[in-house]
Amino acid sequence: MSHLLDIRDLHLAFKGLGGLTEVLHGITLDIAAGERVALVGESGSGKSVTARIVLGLLQEMRNARVTGRVGFDGADIMTMAPRDRARLRGTEMSMIFQDPTSSLNPTFTIGNQFAEVMRRRDPRLNQAACDARATEMLAEVSIPDPGRVLANYPFQLSGGMNQRVMIAMALVNNPKLLLADEPGTALDVSVQAQTLRLMHDLVEKHRTAVLFISHNLGVVREFADRVYVIYRGRIVETGPTGAIFHNPGHAYTRALMDAVPRITGAGLPAVPEVSDDFLAPMVRHEGGTS
Amino acid sequence: MTLLSVENLTKTFSAPSGPIHAVRDVSFEVQRGECLAVVGESGSGKTTLANMILGILGATAGEIRFDGAVLPAKRAPAHRRAIQFVQQNPLSSLNPKRSIGASVRLGLDTYAIGPRADRWIKVEDALEEVGLPREMRHRAPAALSGGQRQRVGIARALACEPELVVLDEPTSALDVLVQARVLRLLNDLRQRKGLTYVFITHDLAVVRNVADRVAVFKSGQLVELGQTAQIFSAPQHPYTRSLIGAVPVVDDAELDLRNRLAKGT
Repeated sequence: MSHLLDIRDLHLAFKGLGGLTEVLHGITLDIAAGERVALVGESGSGKSVTARIVLGLLQEMRNARVTGRVGFDGADIMTMAPRDRARLRGTEMSMIFQDPTSSLNPTFTIGNQFAEVMRRRDPRLNQAACDARATEMLAEVSIPDPGRVLANYPFQLSGGMNQRVMIAMALVNNPKLLLADEPGTALDVSVQAQTLRLMHDLVEKHRTAVLFISHNLGVVREFADRVYVIYRGRIVETGPTGAIFHNPGHAYTRALMDAVPRITGAGLPAVPEVSDDFLAPMVRHEGGTS
Repeated sequence: MTLLSVENLTKTFSAPSGPIHAVRDVSFEVQRGECLAVVGESGSGKTTLANMILGILGATAGEIRFDGAVLPAKRAPAHRRAIQFVQQNPLSSLNPKRSIGASVRLGLDTYAIGPRADRWIKVEDALEEVGLPREMRHRAPAALSGGQRQRVGIARALACEPELVVLDEPTSALDVLVQARVLRLLNDLRQRKGLTYVFITHDLAVVRNVADRVAVFKSGQLVELGQTAQIFSAPQHPYTRSLIGAVPVVDDAELDLRNRLAKGT
């Protein structure tokens, strides 16, 4: 089975004053074309650095040591020239960040930022062509009056609107892979639910694969086809979303599930202590496309 | 017994585009020892309400009574001490240049709590009470994890020996395991010390498990107020139902409940 993204035995360490700090201890993760895969774990577990390696950003940091294979669409990102990696960003793969308002440039209009993104794919596009395509994309994310939004600056729009703009911008070049790092965590629950549903429908329609990074199990359950649970730089459990949620096999996954407060009101969740069981070998549920 | 009572409270801000009605004619009571959750989306007036209870903002109209007495716009130190605040992001609320201990001690000095010679001991007691080692008072905020910082924020508030604590999203910046521990801690402290909480949050699953009653705000108005069990079995206001309908859930029992409540059947 060929994968769009195929990460094998990925290691990452940062050089510091006290020597090497190991962050990723051999991550293996794959995503098929059009598949929605979640990487879930707590802060510091290595979720965001994994996304940054896929984007090719950490390989260029002088104090980072990255080894392993990151296959993307038949090529290996690890052995690519920095220029070629840069060419993939914003075209074949794109990213959505946690806080939309601070990731958009406050000094350019939405229309100008759309044009910049689209010219990464085709530098000869004129403003009128960019605006036409941007208007189309904004309509797809259910933004009323796209023409007005194109002329606006990010600070003139609400957080929810900016998030939709980000989603539209990330998908405007029809990327094969979308990296979404905690999208909507900065938003209200109701707005977050709406934007996630929107994103879900859009990536389904465009057959875009998604690496969805989150610490929120509820959101993961609603969005992903398959889940990887990461703990301290190791994948501890993986499988189809249903299997993970109905039958969590690893002690860490079970601790995460137990710690989530329930609206059915079972009382305050039990507080699992960090235990050696969290470092137990990986549990793999068969099924899904992997 | 009523500890806090808010009567016809209104706050209007003026802006170039016209007046903004942040809180409109809101009335409710909080009983001593109770945990009242205040929920609503951003812009619903939750934080403005908190700021008025804390005396950071004056009201445009209406009044706030604490333990029977009307709180004036300019608060007496005794009232400021009795109503304490725990913020969402403890890193931005702790002075980065001060040690943890100095930040916790500030309240003790300001309100002259206990003899001067005993105050460092009181600071260490407060840290211990929230599950931090006593030596941590020498550390800087930057050296702490998010969960530890939030515990410092709680210790800082509790060192002032408050009666009422206003908590503004105290766990929403934390990881789920850390959140579970901090919520337990808050619950234990409330029971042990007979504290009263006004707990502001947008996380309804947290509300379900920590609050005695829930106040739902929308556009500055109180649209629903009821016992937690009642809100989560028969929400009356459509807005409350839509909030519950948006909660991300992890198990099937929750999913059933959420879908049933959101539909209002």
